[in-house]
Amino acid sequence: MAVSEKVMPSISARPSFWLRLRDALAPLLASKVALVGLALVLFWVLVAIFAPFLTPYSPREQDADAMNLGPSAGHPLGTDHLGRDLWSRLVYGSRLILVLAPLSVLCSLAVGTTLGLLAGYFGGLIDEVVMRLLDAMMAFPAVLLYLIIIAAVGASATNVVIAITIAGAPGIARLVRSLTMDIRTRDYIAAAQLRGESPFYIMWVEILPNARGPIIVDAMLRVGYAVFAIGTLGFLGLGLPPPAPDWGSMVCAGRRYIWSNPWAVLWPSLAISSLVVGLNLFADGLREETMRYQ
Amino acid sequence: MVKFIIRRLGFMLLTMFIVSIAIFAISEIAPGNIARNILGPFATPEQEASFLAQLGLDQPLHIRYITWLVGSDWRAERLIGMPLRRIKKPDTEFYEWWAVEPDGTLVRWKLDGEDLIALRLQPDGTVQESLDNERWQTDEAGISTFWGVDTHNRAVMWEKGGGQTYWMRAKAAGWWVEQPGGAREYIPLQKGLLRGDPGESVKTGRPVGDALLRRLQNSILLAAIAFVIVMPLALVLGLLAGLNEGKALDRILSVGGLATTATPNFATGIFLILIFAVWLKWLPGATVFASERAAFENPKMLILPVMTLTLIELGYVLRITRASMVEVMNASYIRTAFLKGLPYWRIVFKHAIRNALMAPITVIMLHVNWLMGGIVVVEAIFGFPGLGRYLLDAALYKDVFAIEAGAMVMVMLAVGTQLVADIIYTFLNPRIRYA
Amino acid sequence: MRVDFEQITDMDYRIKTPILKVENLAISYETRKGDVPAVRDVSFEIRRGETHGIVGESGCGKSTVAFSIVNFLGRNGRIVGGSILFQGQELRGRGEEELRRLRGDQIAMVYQDPMSALNPSLRIGDQLSEVLIVHRNLSKKAAYEKCIDMLKRVYMPDPEAVMLRYPHQLSGGQQQRVVIAMALLNNPALLIMDEPTTALDVTVEAAVLDLIDELRREFDTAIMYISHNLGVIARVSDLVGVMYAGEMVERAAVEEVFLNPLHPYTQGLMRCVPKLGLSKESSYLYPIRGRVPSPAELPPGCIFEPRCDYARPQCQQAHPELREVAPGHFARCHFAEEIAAQKWQPPQDLIPDLAALAARKPEVAEPILRLQQVKTYYEQERKSLASLLGLGQARYVKAVDDVSLEVPRGCTLGVVGESGCGKSTLAKTIVGLEPLTDGRVEFMGFDISVPVSKRDLSLIKELQMVFQNPDSTMNPSFSVGYQIGRPLRRFRGVPRHQVRDEVIRLLEAVKLDASYYDRLPRQLSGGEKQRVGIARAFAARPNLVLCDEPVSSLDVSVQAAVLNLLLEIQQKYGTTMLFIAHDLSVVRFFSDFVAVMYLGKICEIGPAEAIYAPPYHPYTEALLSAVPIPDPSADQKRIRLSGTVPSALHPPSGCRFHTRCPRKIGEICEREIPPCQHVTAEHRIYCHIPLEELRRIEPVVTVK
Repeated sequence: MAVSEKVMPSISARPSFWLRLRDALAPLLASKVALVGLALVLFWVLVAIFAPFLTPYSPREQDADAMNLGPSAGHPLGTDHLGRDLWSRLVYGSRLILVLAPLSVLCSLAVGTTLGLLAGYFGGLIDEVVMRLLDAMMAFPAVLLYLIIIAAVGASATNVVIAITIAGAPGIARLVRSLTMDIRTRDYIAAAQLRGESPFYIMWVEILPNARGPIIVDAMLRVGYAVFAIGTLGFLGLGLPPPAPDWGSMVCAGRRYIWSNPWAVLWPSLAISSLVVGLNLFADGLREETMRYQ
Repeated sequence: MVKFIIRRLGFMLLTMFIVSIAIFAISEIAPGNIARNILGPFATPEQEASFLAQLGLDQPLHIRYITWLVGSDWRAERLIGMPLRRIKKPDTEFYEWWAVEPDGTLVRWKLDGEDLIALRLQPDGTVQESLDNERWQTDEAGISTFWGVDTHNRAVMWEKGGGQTYWMRAKAAGWWVEQPGGAREYIPLQKGLLRGDPGESVKTGRPVGDALLRRLQNSILLAAIAFVIVMPLALVLGLLAGLNEGKALDRILSVGGLATTATPNFATGIFLILIFAVWLKWLPGATVFASERAAFENPKMLILPVMTLTLIELGYVLRITRASMVEVMNASYIRTAFLKGLPYWRIVFKHAIRNALMAPITVIMLHVNWLMGGIVVVEAIFGFPGLGRYLLDAALYKDVFAIEAGAMVMVMLAVGTQLVADIIYTFLNPRIRYA
Repeated sequence: MRVDFEQITDMDYRIKTPILKVENLAISYETRKGDVPAVRDVSFEIRRGETHGIVGESGCGKSTVAFSIVNFLGRNGRIVGGSILFQGQELRGRGEEELRRLRGDQIAMVYQDPMSALNPSLRIGDQLSEVLIVHRNLSKKAAYEKCIDMLKRVYMPDPEAVMLRYPHQLSGGQQQRVVIAMALLNNPALLIMDEPTTALDVTVEAAVLDLIDELRREFDTAIMYISHNLGVIARVSDLVGVMYAGEMVERAAVEEVFLNPLHPYTQGLMRCVPKLGLSKESSYLYPIRGRVPSPAELPPGCIFEPRCDYARPQCQQAHPELREVAPGHFARCHFAEEIAAQKWQPPQDLIPDLAALAARKPEVAEPILRLQQVKTYYEQERKSLASLLGLGQARYVKAVDDVSLEVPRGCTLGVVGESGCGKSTLAKTIVGLEPLTDGRVEFMGFDISVPVSKRDLSLIKELQMVFQNPDSTMNPSFSVGYQIGRPLRRFRGVPRHQVRDEVIRLLEAVKLDASYYDRLPRQLSGGEKQRVGIARAFAARPNLVLCDEPVSSLDVSVQAAVLNLLLEIQQKYGTTMLFIAHDLSVVRFFSDFVAVMYLGKICEIGPAEAIYAPPYHPYTEALLSAVPIPDPSADQKRIRLSGTVPSALHPPSGCRFHTRCPRKIGEICEREIPPCQHVTAEHRIYCHIPLEELRRIEPVVTVK
């Protein structure tokens, strides 16, 4: 009695890498919004990679004869109040922000994912305690949290990353927790438990890979927030200490001369806006497309 | 439903408790940092120790936390053996602590060499000095000590002939100077955060509470104007976008909303200043508060700050509302309504909007955190004297007590709005109302 | 088109023009890959007072047809051909405003999930009355009064109070009554019902079906009734149309379709469903091979040709028309007459291994699994502040309460009951996914009353489970091969280098081939996923397998194949099984012993054949009388339960069934827990009614 649902005309068992890449990119290419976002982000990524080839000046080189200049042939975007070339500061600033922002998101992902998995999988008292702590953390306006932390430990690249990690982890933990609680009820988790698998295996091998979609989209949005936050900290004077070419700090420093030299605040503002908006458009377009065809 | 609200209230209290510990811990866990932050890198260890003792920062963490939360006067009262009272110094914003004698006279002390001098406040406001050496208490070892209130609002244990010196801030000198007549122990007097006295600013020496209150009023004015503009606009636009899902109007509003929300708020503010103040010269680029009522006398200077806040929030609320409307319009019960043959606008108004507004209200209220971040930045851009800038200045100066108090107020506002949101939600959602 | 009116009973009073006449209807959906034809060439007509059933498996386009009639196909669907005549008027191409006036007035609709069909934030009264206010311009007061009348007519208890309630305050059955009342308010000429009882339990479903039948007589409405359930269709319909892959393949009076099907697909369907009372010893299910073609890749000729036992070359080339094969009996098959004439012989590959089946009945062996007074209580989630601080009284949901049973080695124990009766919790308790509150579970002589995490790996290996939902039974991130191989590696059943071979062997055992090894779950159909789930459960050769509704989310044709597969594997490995299901026919077919559960307790347990014949527990009797039987000639007693299943948080005192029992004998039922009465050594009934009296009950179902 060999009856079976007939094998469908063979779906190639393991699609080639390029096919899978194309499948993964298909939703992205379908969304114009995501493409615009990707273009903006790619622009800055390329600028960061090829920084030394894009400008003859060092970002810290001061020129007392060329202070607060508007755009000119020598300085395409002009100079700041210390006579530093704005373009080279932007170019090198992109390196800074494109390292710090993803780094802090990775840190909050590590912390948040662990907490979320534990709380979501075990539930009960662990969940209750973790959730109350997260509630408290999330009651803080993020900027406020940055203010207190930086005020307590001082401004430095490490501390900025720590502050953003602390502010970001609760959100990720909540997301992972809700995904975990959903996935935990699936039958394949019960099947794993019936194989006597350890909770560690179930959380990291059975649950986490299936939560990756929303986590990735969320992480992309968070890179946007992180850029936003680093810029804001810099602007508030709590960012990387000078003379680092931090975009936010550039706006902060240039603000005093806004009436005489608006360029010095305009360019870094534009730079940071384009990067954050690009990241957001990209993540949002991706989310819309993946949701539509689920 | 009452149960639900009580439960939320309980959670809110619990949250605030954890928050207070967090704020306190982050700010004060390393008092050495505070001293170095204020005194600068060149302070001697003696100066630092004296500074910490005078601020009460040498005491154990939990005592300091309790003092910060519920005050230290009740502790000092037991040591002094007299009730203490805080009065406002006439015509200033400063407070003074006095001990109350049985006849109701207010008294405090100072040490002059080996003599204890009582200062008694007279009804006419003057202070009468008199020797008060009989208060010294001598123990078996022959050391005479006395617990009293000094002229710097501290409960102090003086030691007769101790010959200690202390470092005090000389306002005229602008720096800390060593002075004779020290004391062995200090308890800075404070009523505590919960009793409305979060302490004094390390930077200005002024009480934090009153300054906060004034700044808060300014911030609320700013936020309220923005709120009144944003909400109706964003909800209407969001509903329209949601009803036209996928069409041009929706695309423009969604992408536009995303772009304005994603743009860092300081950049938005800078762009607006560049356009309207620097180039067009239509509006002032900063807010100058010459008097308490400056905002009402010169409302023009509020336009740019409000505009910045509006741009930040508009897109977000719009997008949430849109998403919610889209979801509701695709719900089965809306299909039911269509299949009942109801006219389109009846479906929208009677069936869709109420359900569509439920999600945004909670989400928007949760977003109040974001709005507060925005307020800090906007106040920093425009020099607006609100709570946000107060906090920022405190953070830049590392003015611990001001940061702690300001942070507590801000978190309390944030959590409070969430509670309000929960209550509104229960009224909108019959599933909870009739649970 | 001519319908033989003599064939249909009490035709006299019917007006002979159809209310709805659909001709050659074709509907397409726009997708990224181009237009997909969802429905093609569908024709049927419905007269006043007539119920026209439309039956088919999931994805065959039945709902699409329903929504096309009111032109509500969503953004990307549209009618591309044919006509829809409603009371002689063409509906196709009408303006939105004209259609709106028809909807809810002349044409009303009832759909599957009543909870999501009602607006959660409006009172029932407002939702009902606005139909009258909009279409009839009644005042609010007059509309309210009419609505209360209508609620009374659908037997809604306490209609005045219901008007003021919100949907979430009603039970599922009550919500469905509200939706039906809403549809009937304007006395529509046509009522479209799309799976109106699918989300409901059998006893509730039976009551709703009775109601629909009664209202049809009373209002003389034309009803289009859509369902995937052959039993339900047999019960309510006068005429039946069978749909397959977007086409109507057969249409005739209900008896004709069920007793004398002409199209090979319809015949196949009938052979897939276990009839109530048939067992695996006496009968066999013949699944339909292959699977439904996707609408984007239809075969050029007859759409059923790839799965048809009678397929000939002509079937591949020419697309058959729906033609009248016998008077009033339409079929879409080139060779319908020929097929009807010959007696169906199962093709060679479908013939079961009868020798094996005959040898199957095991000697009643020693019990492998023994449950003694097992209790599983859930603590009610407490949300008050006091309870958070550890104060306050804990409340318990008694999901399983004092269950004792034994399963002999090599046998199958079926567990039936309505949703919420605790059958799934029982299974989870046995495998150790839910902690036991009290009692003892003994397996192969070992005490396994502890959670799975505390059990010995060698015991875990012997106790595996097959799950209900094909979409969640497999981890979407890993390949089929990995997931079947994991238990092999984990339990070290085979040496590491042989795992792959063993997995392929297992795949073949569940009738899949080696090419499935590297596939991901999303490339599999529901039935295939379920097969992989079975392969995974059997990989480590367990002694006992618990099947929790393994076929209930599958289409009937796939269901039959999976049931056969389970039987065959069980046979091969001599596995003991616990088979949980809500479908009494399936349980009867599959099990040697059956336990009937209600609200956490067993009411009756015994050999399968004994459960389905008197003496019955009154609850078993009510369940049997509620089962929809896919045989219009079957005679079923009509016993309907009143009220709803009480909450397991506050179960009724005494006999749990006393609040709904039609045979309640008095106060004793409320006061005392019913005693265990032994009909035979193996057959136990927990009831206060004396056995002699229970023995006198007439059989519920008689098949002619």
